[in-house]
Amino acid sequence: MRQFWEWSIQGPLKELAQEALQTLPGLIATVILVALGFAVGWLAKQVVYRLLRAMRFDRLCDRLGISAIIEGLGLARSSSYLAGQGVEGIFVITALLAGLNALPSNISRNLVERFFAYLPHVFAALGVLVLGTLISRFLGRSVLIAAVNAHIPSAKLFGGLTRFFVLSLTVVAALDELGISRTTIIVAFAILFGGVVTAAAIAFGLGARDLASEVLRTQFQPPPKQETDDSLRHV
Amino acid sequence: MSQELLTDEIKQQLGGVGPVEIVVGIPSYNNARTIGRVVQAAQVGLLKYFPERRALIVNSDGGSKDGTSQAVEQANIDSQQVLLVRHALYPVHRLTTPYHGIPGKGSAFRTIFRIAEEVQATACAVVDSDLRSITPEWIDLLLRPVLDLEFDYVAPYYKRHKYDGTITNSIIYPLTSALYGRRVRQPIGGEFGMSARVARHYLTRDVWNTEVAGYGIDIWMTTTAIAEGFKVCQSYLGAKIHDAKDPGADLSTMLVQVVGSVFRLMEDYVAVWPKVAASEAVPLFGFPFEVGLEPVPVNVARMHDSFRQGCSDLESIYRAFVPPQRLAELNACAALADDAFVLPDELWSNLIYDFALAYHRRTLDRGHLVKSLTPLYLGWVASFAGQTAYETGSQVEDRIEHLCQVYEQLKPRLIQEWGIGAGEKRPES
Repeated sequence: MRQFWEWSIQGPLKELAQEALQTLPGLIATVILVALGFAVGWLAKQVVYRLLRAMRFDRLCDRLGISAIIEGLGLARSSSYLAGQGVEGIFVITALLAGLNALPSNISRNLVERFFAYLPHVFAALGVLVLGTLISRFLGRSVLIAAVNAHIPSAKLFGGLTRFFVLSLTVVAALDELGISRTTIIVAFAILFGGVVTAAAIAFGLGARDLASEVLRTQFQPPPKQETDDSLRHV
Repeated sequence: MSQELLTDEIKQQLGGVGPVEIVVGIPSYNNARTIGRVVQAAQVGLLKYFPERRALIVNSDGGSKDGTSQAVEQANIDSQQVLLVRHALYPVHRLTTPYHGIPGKGSAFRTIFRIAEEVQATACAVVDSDLRSITPEWIDLLLRPVLDLEFDYVAPYYKRHKYDGTITNSIIYPLTSALYGRRVRQPIGGEFGMSARVARHYLTRDVWNTEVAGYGIDIWMTTTAIAEGFKVCQSYLGAKIHDAKDPGADLSTMLVQVVGSVFRLMEDYVAVWPKVAASEAVPLFGFPFEVGLEPVPVNVARMHDSFRQGCSDLESIYRAFVPPQRLAELNACAALADDAFVLPDELWSNLIYDFALAYHRRTLDRGHLVKSLTPLYLGWVASFAGQTAYETGSQVEDRIEHLCQVYEQLKPRLIQEWGIGAGEKRPES
């Protein structure tokens, strides 16, 4: 009976205790690292937020159009606050990864390794998104102003389409960088874009046949100069 | 840097000419139709009014393909017909040279100034090559104040049709007067006289790769002369009748170059203009006689349409720098019927100050900003055309002077919002 007790009950309990004792330092280290990460992250957020506010970072973002993008995304926060939150997030994620790495488990270590291997793609995708958004805004505005100054009635539509086209390309490029369903996205984009162009062409050809012929006619045969045209000399 | 402007061939030609006292510069680009007459007028003006002085006419050409250079070469005067009272002691030399740098009027001027420096001229005049109303007297009126009265800069004063020079009337003249306190009626006229001192000063400035290389040159020269304390005057030249400026250039590009230059100069001279409280007249030489002017047809309905479309389609852009109340006033104007359409002077002046402030703060891309002014400017022209349809020249002048006063009255707001202080760029000198 005593042998049974020692072999079946005490033995496993001792092993469990030994394993727990082996795991415990890692677990404690994980808890400490995560707690530290949250604390330092919160502190860093406060410092970055106040520093950026003092440096008029929000005004810079206003000028670059970044604030408008943030507003458009429905984030009712200032750019400096979001930057602070971003820094806090980096600290927290770093602490979580360090905590996972501190655990004596191959699965957690593998996860950390894979995360670091994937990180450059995330940054590249973010870079593509930011750059693409800025370019789409700039080009959209260029087209809008040029179209208004050329008295084109659908100026807003052309400006919007330019932005949409550049943004779509940007999203596809970013997702491609992240390796998310690469083929599906490219095929979906091609179908969507091809569909839009075909639909527009059919709609223009059928629904606005007269307008289409008028556009082509004026394109290749400019109308004679009207007598009412002004000959203003601006300077 | 200016040494590179003249080729060895040009220097050799200038060596053959020797030192001259007067240089008359004529920038050109595809002006074969009018330049011959301009060269003849300059030549007669020099022979008639400055017979005892050595003179050189320089045509600085931007690569014309319509025979402009040939027209300059063939522009000879028949001395029998000109009836000179005194025989000239020296012949008037002529030189045609291509200019280097960014294509534009400013680059052409730079080459003319460099040649004036090279030949040690004491006075220099520049006249546009598209002029149809130039007379030999213009040369005298542009150079005499420099040579005899020691003025540094002579701006032109003309009679123009009320719809000619609308950027000048709506923005450049009122804004420049309000900012720098000197009422130069045609600050971007195109014809100027200047002393060697000013011409040399212009050459030292590093601006030749900016808007100044293009249409911005005139306002840059005038503003620099006023803001840096040179002696400035005006000469009455009579009527200005000229071909349309570079028909290929669109209005918004012209606005970027001209209005963009004024806004940029506000940054350069931020130490000067906020201290100016009121404007004063600039001495005017010449006899102001009445002249007949060619009619200028305007399509007011199209300008109304442009204004309305701008107010509606570009509102998202304006919202970034125009206060909501002003935007509401603008939209109220856009809602008016064509025959009742008026853009009040206060609203217009405030809008220009809003654009100047946005340019200074870089609220958005500067090119986009100034180009987005185009429909509003056309709105002002439409309003002006409607209000002045039956007005005489002097009534129109009174209206423009009133606009100048409004710009001056609203200037304190501009100064207050400019936020003069740390980090502002100061003039190089």
